[in-house]
Amino acid sequence: MSNKLKKCISYTLRMVVLALFIIWSAFPIFILVISSFKPSRDIFDFPPSIFFKPSLINYFNLVERWPEFFGKLLNSAIITLGATSLTIVITTMAGYVYARHRNMFLTYSAFFMIVIRMVPPIVITIPLFPALNYFALNDTHILLILLYSTFFVSLCTWIMKAFIDQIPKDIEEAAFIDGASLFQTLTRVTLPLAVHGIIASAVFVFIFSWNEFLFAFLFTANTAKTAPIILSEMQNSVTGVEWGPLFAAATLQVMPILVFIILVQRYLITGIAAGSTKG
Amino acid sequence: MMVAPVQVMLGGFILLPALYVGWLSFYESSFGLAANYVGLENYIRLFTDPQFWRAFWNTFFIVNVVVYGELAIALGMATLFVAGVPLRRLMISIVLMPYAVSPVLAVVMWKFMLTPEIGIVNYTLTQLGIPPILWASNPTHGIIVIILLSIWLHTPFTFIITYSAMLAIPKELYEAGRIDGAGPFPLFWRITIPIIMPAIFIALMFRYVFAFRIFSEVWILTRGGPVNLTETLAIYLYRFGFRYHEWGLASAASWMMVLFTALITAYYFRLMYKQMFAADV
Repeated sequence: MSNKLKKCISYTLRMVVLALFIIWSAFPIFILVISSFKPSRDIFDFPPSIFFKPSLINYFNLVERWPEFFGKLLNSAIITLGATSLTIVITTMAGYVYARHRNMFLTYSAFFMIVIRMVPPIVITIPLFPALNYFALNDTHILLILLYSTFFVSLCTWIMKAFIDQIPKDIEEAAFIDGASLFQTLTRVTLPLAVHGIIASAVFVFIFSWNEFLFAFLFTANTAKTAPIILSEMQNSVTGVEWGPLFAAATLQVMPILVFIILVQRYLITGIAAGSTKG
Repeated sequence: MMVAPVQVMLGGFILLPALYVGWLSFYESSFGLAANYVGLENYIRLFTDPQFWRAFWNTFFIVNVVVYGELAIALGMATLFVAGVPLRRLMISIVLMPYAVSPVLAVVMWKFMLTPEIGIVNYTLTQLGIPPILWASNPTHGIIVIILLSIWLHTPFTFIITYSAMLAIPKELYEAGRIDGAGPFPLFWRITIPIIMPAIFIALMFRYVFAFRIFSEVWILTRGGPVNLTETLAIYLYRFGFRYHEWGLASAASWMMVLFTALITAYYFRLMYKQMFAADV
């Protein structure tokens, strides 16, 4: 009996702790999203009402007062997709080489890759600033694509290497014997088997590029400005914060990435495990 | 060579600029001025600037609290999840959610909850008779909020690493421990922690390195204010580099950040090495 009671208490305790973790993780996001559907006068109700008549007024206000937000959201999408594609292509190639070949040059360059990844991004902004003006790269999509990609090629190469390491070499050799070229072997044989690795590394660049603040803040003015930047401007507008439209914009920015992270959850876990234990 | 694009990007965008910053730190430089060699003057100015030390200690304090706070929460979460939770996949998705949130939005959420008087957290605190958190006017409170929201944002990363490591522990070890009469706490401290120590070190090292460069959260929340009291090293660097255009001094600050990062990684790589070496014996 006492054993049963003990089990019951321990179970209840665990559920309470679980509930606390869930509230801690989800509450700020939850409150943001539901508040975006409340008219301004109800946003600060206490306790916050959970059952209420949803209204789209904040979204209309957003369209009216911050029409440029949608263009910036599109910029974010273009830059995110660009950086993700670029990173995938070049790190798959590099990861393949590191997985299949070994020599002094590769060992040194792999070491370089790990070390250089530790340089704080803000350190490179000062010398980059005049150079970018010179090449007229400031405030362009391509610049952010290149920068975001650069800061993730180390990790993604490592993830790709870890995944390609697991693919038996014999399969590729069999393809060679059947007369396939290197390119054919890679695209028809190796890549389809490495697709989990590709998704795992894409997840990181994707999330990072969608949310990045520092580079976008320093290197964009208008054309290539991204959603996080305009969201920070909305918080600091001179007329005081208009929470309604801000919540609407924030919800539009966060929803796609939340759906994304739920879909790719297990790749995120395998990716971090592969990239960190071996990197 | 297929590794060329990766290496060229790393070299061109990180290595070259970083080296250039090292060179620039010995010069006096600003808009339209030819760089003028000044030797160690930038470093001397940096080390004699009390604001630099303020930024240094702020960063030091924030980083340590954030990293170990995260580790504690992540270990708790991981232990709970490994022991088994209902709707595991959904629950994991929920605790991973902050990982997908931009620092900008994290600030929006926390600012909102901490709005003076009417924000939900501050309202609750007042009702409980606890003084509210006034992050905008009180620098200590500002730093507390920065710490809280950093922990909130980055716990999923530490959680994933520790969780994967715990999953890999063979169940037989726990059974053996239980047969020997060990309770849950000895099992945790004597079996779980030693086995996942390498993973903990990796998580700590990465988090130290990333937390150390903290910029966005601070900049969006307080802009380093009031009167630069919540400034971190990255904000200090930004202020001199992009506000005052004192590139020489900002470069010296940059180079110090690179050095500190190198120290952190060197220390942890060594510890990790020792740890793994000890495990082998």
